[in-house]
Amino acid sequence: MSPRVELQSGTAVIRLDGDVVVDTAARLYRRLRRLCRRRDVRSVVLDFTGAGRVDSAGVATVSLGSRMLAEAGKAFDLVHLGEHHQAAFEMMRSAPAAADRRDADEAPGLFERVGSRILGGVERTVEVVDLVADTMSASASALARRSRLPAGSLLSHASIMGAGALPIVGLLSLLLGMTLAFQASVQLEQFGADVYVADLVGLAVVREFGPLITAIILTGRTGAAIAAELGTMRVREEVDALRAMGISPVRFLVVPRVAALTAVQPALTLLAMFIGAVGGMIIAVTVMDLTPVIFWERLIHRVHMRDFGHGLAKSVVFAWIIGFVGCYRGLRTTGDAASVGAATTRTVVTSIFFIIVVDALFAVLSTVQVTR
Amino acid sequence: MKGEVLLACRDLSVGHAGVAVLHGIDLEVRRGEIVALLGGSGSGKSTLLRTINGLLPPLGGEVLLFGEPFHQLDEERRNAVRRRIGLLFQQDALFGSMSLIDNLALPLRELTHLPEPVIFELARMKLALVGLDRLVHRRPSQMSGGQRRRAGLARASMLDPELVFCDEPSAGLDPVVAAEIDELLVQFRDVLGITLVVVTHHLDSIRTIADRAIMLGRGRIIAQGTIDELDRSPDPDVHAFFHRLPGEGIGRAEGDPIDQLRHGARP
Repeated sequence: MSPRVELQSGTAVIRLDGDVVVDTAARLYRRLRRLCRRRDVRSVVLDFTGAGRVDSAGVATVSLGSRMLAEAGKAFDLVHLGEHHQAAFEMMRSAPAAADRRDADEAPGLFERVGSRILGGVERTVEVVDLVADTMSASASALARRSRLPAGSLLSHASIMGAGALPIVGLLSLLLGMTLAFQASVQLEQFGADVYVADLVGLAVVREFGPLITAIILTGRTGAAIAAELGTMRVREEVDALRAMGISPVRFLVVPRVAALTAVQPALTLLAMFIGAVGGMIIAVTVMDLTPVIFWERLIHRVHMRDFGHGLAKSVVFAWIIGFVGCYRGLRTTGDAASVGAATTRTVVTSIFFIIVVDALFAVLSTVQVTR
Repeated sequence: MKGEVLLACRDLSVGHAGVAVLHGIDLEVRRGEIVALLGGSGSGKSTLLRTINGLLPPLGGEVLLFGEPFHQLDEERRNAVRRRIGLLFQQDALFGSMSLIDNLALPLRELTHLPEPVIFELARMKLALVGLDRLVHRRPSQMSGGQRRRAGLARASMLDPELVFCDEPSAGLDPVVAAEIDELLVQFRDVLGITLVVVTHHLDSIRTIADRAIMLGRGRIIAQGTIDELDRSPDPDVHAFFHRLPGEGIGRAEGDPIDQLRHGARP
């Protein structure tokens, strides 16, 4: 179809030729839009003499065109409509009485958007505090043997979260320890201070990198898995089913996961600390000609119990961040597939953000303590 | 009977993984008809529908859609045929991550070169047709079951299909909303000229909307004809269905343990 346009004293006549359907309506639309912009056109006439079939896309184009022309202050008319053309336009006008006209859906204004953002933020904070408080009380009652956790859940979660993560945590902390030692060796050799590589690697791995690398691995492995699992359970209304049966989702789903993480994370962190130190030693022995004995002596001399305490205390807080963020995001999922993906993404991003913030806080607090 | 044949099945066998659920299906649907596809749970209605739409391969026989042997066509021709067919899924299958208007616009954005304003206008028109034009920016999760079903119908009609299959359009809806959906289906036929094949269990809606019914059971078609004809059918399963009797269990396989129990009592 190639609609011809004839222009006579301010009136543009579009002579349709062939079908006005999905595949050809775009051309008619562009022609109408062009006529809208022309100043010398005061009215537009659509001549259906040569037109074939008109489908809904054609009807939509004409209806949109008539609105555009009206807005541009131009007259618009349809002429020589065949019977089937009229039927096509009629079917769109004969839309049944809408049952849902009542609830109009207007886009929110600026104030409404800002307000709902703020209220949403407050609401989320309250929800997180609620979840943490619920978990605390459910854990306390489980510890006091007043209620039980689902049988075997703690152990199975702990083995999936902990034992499953052993190889990757071990490998990455070994590489990290080696990299640290290697970078340090280049600098330290300039001052003939090779032997201090043990101090450096030991302190860095025990106080910072052990807890941090474990937390990041567990965020990606476990936090994301928790969010996806709980999110899917929400979508499939399994969480509602638990609630309807009178089983608390917090006790049944959140407590075992957070408890398992609390047990597993410090253990993995301790492992990361030792393997990281071993990685440092491997480089010290092979590249820097130190003996293993000297390395370990310096290490034991320099790294105190307090440093282990610092690292392990951090790791417990990291475990709670990962567990609570994953559970919260998962349980907040709304009913569609995309929201599960969003919950997983947000879990990882939020967890890592708070882990770094808490890490910084720990660093500041421990410095204050030491300088006093 | 009027109109050309849009859908024909010839000696069709359908099933999953080589195990046939239905044998020797011969049926025809003509332009402008509303045909009800009946049968008990597990009688193979959905499998038949999925085979006709090309979501499952047939085990034997052939499906003619608009006169073309659908399963022998190459993918490109098959998609051309698919554009003439609409499908309303049992679980509305709206995309949860998109607003209502985007759900409707999707097939047009993906399959046509229409400019965006025209697509929007068309989607709004179709939503007006099903009475949802004030909810354009809602997500499916913010809509009721009846609204979602109507939205599904609107989406199925976006490309002006000639033939629409509806898998239990009023399942899980209250009688008032179910009647609204029925009314919409009739309107689709009368106003838009769409031919409909409707899978349903609702006797009321069959009597209101269907011109003809095809009843499946015992692995084959056990009856087809107008509603009056089926009403008077001597077949015990059909009779039981139309008169709401606790019959032999429509579509249950022969040699079923429950049948044996029942028949075992009398020689």
